[in-house]
Amino acid sequence: MKNLALFHEIAKNPYDYAKKVKKESGRKVVGYFCSYTPEEIIDAAGALPFRIFGRGGDSLADAHLQAYSCSLVRGALHDALSGGLDFLDGVVFPHTCDSIQRLSDIWRINVKTGFHIDAVLPVKLDTKSSGEYMADVLKKFLRDIENGLGVKIAENDLKSSVMKYNRIRSYLGKIYRIRRENPSLIGSRDLHAIVRASMVMERDLLVEELAALAGSLNDGKAAGKTAGKKVVLAGGVCNLPDIFSIIEDSGGIVVGDDFCTGSRYFEGEIGINGDIVESIAKRYKDRINCPAKHSGLLTRGEHILKLARESGAKGVIFLFLKFCDPHSFDYPYLKDMLNREGIPSMLFEIEEQLPSEGQFKTRCEAFLEMLEA
Amino acid sequence: MITLGIDVGSITAKAALVKDGKLLSTAVITTGYNSRNAGESVFGKILSEAGIERSEIGGIVATGYGRNSVAFAGKSITEITCHAAGAHFLNPAVRSVIDIGGQDSKAIVMDAAGKVRDFAMNDKCAAGTGRFLEVMARALEVDINDFGKMSLEADNPARISSLCTVFAESEVISLIAKGEKRKNIIAGIHESIGSRVAAMAGRLGLTSPVMMTGGVAKNIGVVKALEGKTGKPIEVSEMAQLTGAIGAALIAMTL
Amino acid sequence: MTGNSQTPDPEKEKRKIKSVKKMKEIMTNYYMEAKTAEQTGKKVAWITSGGPVEPLIVMDIIPVYPENHGAMIGASKMGVALCEKSEEMGYSRDLCSYARADIACAPANGGPIGGLPRPDMLVCCNNICGTVLKWYEVQARYFNVPLFILDTPFSHTGFSDEARKYVRKQVDEYIAFLEMVCGKKCDYDRMAEVGKLSVQGQRLWQAVLDTAAHKPAPMSAFDAFFHLALIVTLRGTSVVVDYYTGLLAEMKERIASGISAVPNEKYRLLWDNLPIWYRTKWLSEKFAAHDACLVADTYTSAWCGSLKYINENDFLGTMAEGYSRIYLNIGVDEMAETVIEMIDKYDADGLVMHSNRSCKPYSLGQYDIQRIVQEKRKIPTLMIEADMVDERNFAESQIETRIDAFMEVLKAG
Repeated sequence: MKNLALFHEIAKNPYDYAKKVKKESGRKVVGYFCSYTPEEIIDAAGALPFRIFGRGGDSLADAHLQAYSCSLVRGALHDALSGGLDFLDGVVFPHTCDSIQRLSDIWRINVKTGFHIDAVLPVKLDTKSSGEYMADVLKKFLRDIENGLGVKIAENDLKSSVMKYNRIRSYLGKIYRIRRENPSLIGSRDLHAIVRASMVMERDLLVEELAALAGSLNDGKAAGKTAGKKVVLAGGVCNLPDIFSIIEDSGGIVVGDDFCTGSRYFEGEIGINGDIVESIAKRYKDRINCPAKHSGLLTRGEHILKLARESGAKGVIFLFLKFCDPHSFDYPYLKDMLNREGIPSMLFEIEEQLPSEGQFKTRCEAFLEMLEA
Repeated sequence: MITLGIDVGSITAKAALVKDGKLLSTAVITTGYNSRNAGESVFGKILSEAGIERSEIGGIVATGYGRNSVAFAGKSITEITCHAAGAHFLNPAVRSVIDIGGQDSKAIVMDAAGKVRDFAMNDKCAAGTGRFLEVMARALEVDINDFGKMSLEADNPARISSLCTVFAESEVISLIAKGEKRKNIIAGIHESIGSRVAAMAGRLGLTSPVMMTGGVAKNIGVVKALEGKTGKPIEVSEMAQLTGAIGAALIAMTL
Repeated sequence: MTGNSQTPDPEKEKRKIKSVKKMKEIMTNYYMEAKTAEQTGKKVAWITSGGPVEPLIVMDIIPVYPENHGAMIGASKMGVALCEKSEEMGYSRDLCSYARADIACAPANGGPIGGLPRPDMLVCCNNICGTVLKWYEVQARYFNVPLFILDTPFSHTGFSDEARKYVRKQVDEYIAFLEMVCGKKCDYDRMAEVGKLSVQGQRLWQAVLDTAAHKPAPMSAFDAFFHLALIVTLRGTSVVVDYYTGLLAEMKERIASGISAVPNEKYRLLWDNLPIWYRTKWLSEKFAAHDACLVADTYTSAWCGSLKYINENDFLGTMAEGYSRIYLNIGVDEMAETVIEMIDKYDADGLVMHSNRSCKPYSLGQYDIQRIVQEKRKIPTLMIEADMVDERNFAESQIETRIDAFMEVLKAG
């Protein structure tokens, strides 16, 4: 398939890609954490939004972060301290969880990666006042981005970015749906690379590439029934492409996910009528919440059940970072809800690298052996 | 039909031959460095001891840590599925299995047919595994095979609270220095391993009857500690160490 | 010590704080009242330690603190068993041990007082951490009672106008919530009174802690950990004002009589982070044996730290900022400034930091605070890696070695 090589290349070497874009186009690069960052505003300011993940090393983080913090914050800090992120013109820290919150302070004190913006989004997403606050924070964020980049964001630019993002998200959703119906058309490892690349790629180029890809998949012949057992993945940040290969090699077919680095990233459309910033706020408020946010007591559980049922999945594999408190607190009630519906599930806590002894493979195989065909 | 199950573990390799649903023969050897060779060796051993030709075997399933290196196996299946099948064979009433191996521990709950319903594993940390016991046996200068017997004689089990094997070892050394009796320390070690494994098993909701499989099942002290922590009686078969291989042979029948 | 064959050591007796007995009585009554609330028809609210308790007092709701219960669980050494139970329920061992212990307690009525009384409502303020949000969600599902969340946005470098507006709005929502659950209107006159009592209580608590600036200190941080309970749980009542008035008087008397917490105080230390609840006596004695006194700490002072933002004549209006800008809801650099202020105020020779596995907002950033303190004040720091309630994370001989080594550095310096 013609487009995938580009996605894989960018997903594998995002830093090199971003530096190249910067060199060739002069565009500024703004690093960000978390899928709650209002990228549309960064894009409207003419900069490249670049989502930060660690790259596997974390030893430099030891001087600032204890071992009981997740590999996302430790890895990212390590990269920053090693100078690996010096190409950034600024960094955005939305309020996510306790660890990101402290990472922001530690980063602000120790690292110089351009301007530093904290967007202290609400933790509650289900009240009128939190919705108003969300909009207020985004308005402030817009001003902060303008200051940081030394530009003025016109209403038209913002509208145009929103429409672009709506298209990006729509294509990603479409690709996911095509795959669910026909898993043989595109591997889940490929899907991961596409979403991963979407978080760092030049967004104008991304729209074109996604449109072409969606088109070519649509024309792809259905290869008939794929052997394997359908599973849905649930969790947070999953930045280990090998996990997808292992699941598929073990006889699983991934037919959906609720990852922060997966479907939650592109869920939700933004209305273009009325106040644009408030519409953007609404999208971040309404999409399925990350467990670090509050939006009802059973929302996520109901969402995962629905996902499993609609995709015909026989089981759910929970994958989230070790030391991720919000996901760890949710897990028991989610497992309980699935158990009551007779849907088996398995948990594997991720660290920056998969353990070398094949522990994940064994668990995966054992789980899939358990499921009905 | 004769089928063969091969279980290549980190310390020992086991084989089991099943004929028409009945256990024909078993064999055990030390794995050593090379799991591929170990698979071949134990295969050769069981064939000669049972007086069977290679050609008579209808199906071969490999399991265990080294399962993917057994080239002559028809299929490799995880030890979770195999232990459940093996335990079911040894006692069809069994509904839960606890297996403490050399480098991991697992808990399995199964249905009436011996099929796995859910499982939990500790495969990241030495505490709660056979390795933990080996480290302690060295620190205490006691033969690990005497652990079970000695712990039963304890009059006041020591409390070992560390989560980490390395720190637990230093706790044990401190206890020795304070003159604590070996039997009490060993009982404390068993309590510690029992706590860890019981907590993991508790997540699944163990249903009786519970069977313990794997090499550590030979240690009566650990079995008793587990019974105490889970609040359930635990049966141990003489074939405990061979459960995986037996299960693998049985599964080979269905392929 | 009646019934004991040994005669009590008069020195030790003299050193004991007399108010302790009164505190135990008050807390016992408080818990008894809470546990019999069903019979008296009073409503019970579970609330976070940083949550605004004053409106609960106004509405005659009994406030109960799962975190205070967690401290009791730790102090009674019941933490390990309860944490193990929570792991069986599927909760990761890496989660906060207060939460794990409390979640395990509820279904079995475990812990040292046979469990907390069932809540009629849950009030969760996330100014201390994000964990409480998840913990209270779990309990809301378990008890099936209304949950109110007071979302206090973090102040990395200052308290924004947007946040002020948001929190102020939520204070009104909070009152409306309480009115709905209780079926009665809030008495705003009483609110003003309770607000004044709260401020008075906080001022008294600050004054009590201030007495430790005296050389030698009449009380230590370990004493403060114990006497803290009232300002946390019953802030806004006259019981608290009366108690701390008495305690303050006792401290002044001790200073006048030359009674100190540590008999031969040579080294004055500052403690950072939550206490190691199951080892407070061990730690106190260990440091005392080195003639060291932990004279102050950042944890207990957090319950009077908001005084600078609260106007006692407009409690409801200034509550928003007061509750938002607490010690754990501000940037690491601002925390470091507070630590340095305390080092200066109490004339500390060294800093003891508890790297508490259970508490990310308190522990992540400690390494930077340590560095800033070393740069600006050049005093040695001791890092103790442990956990506040889960004793499995406390490696005694390793920690002992660190304390001894630290004291050797202090003594040599």
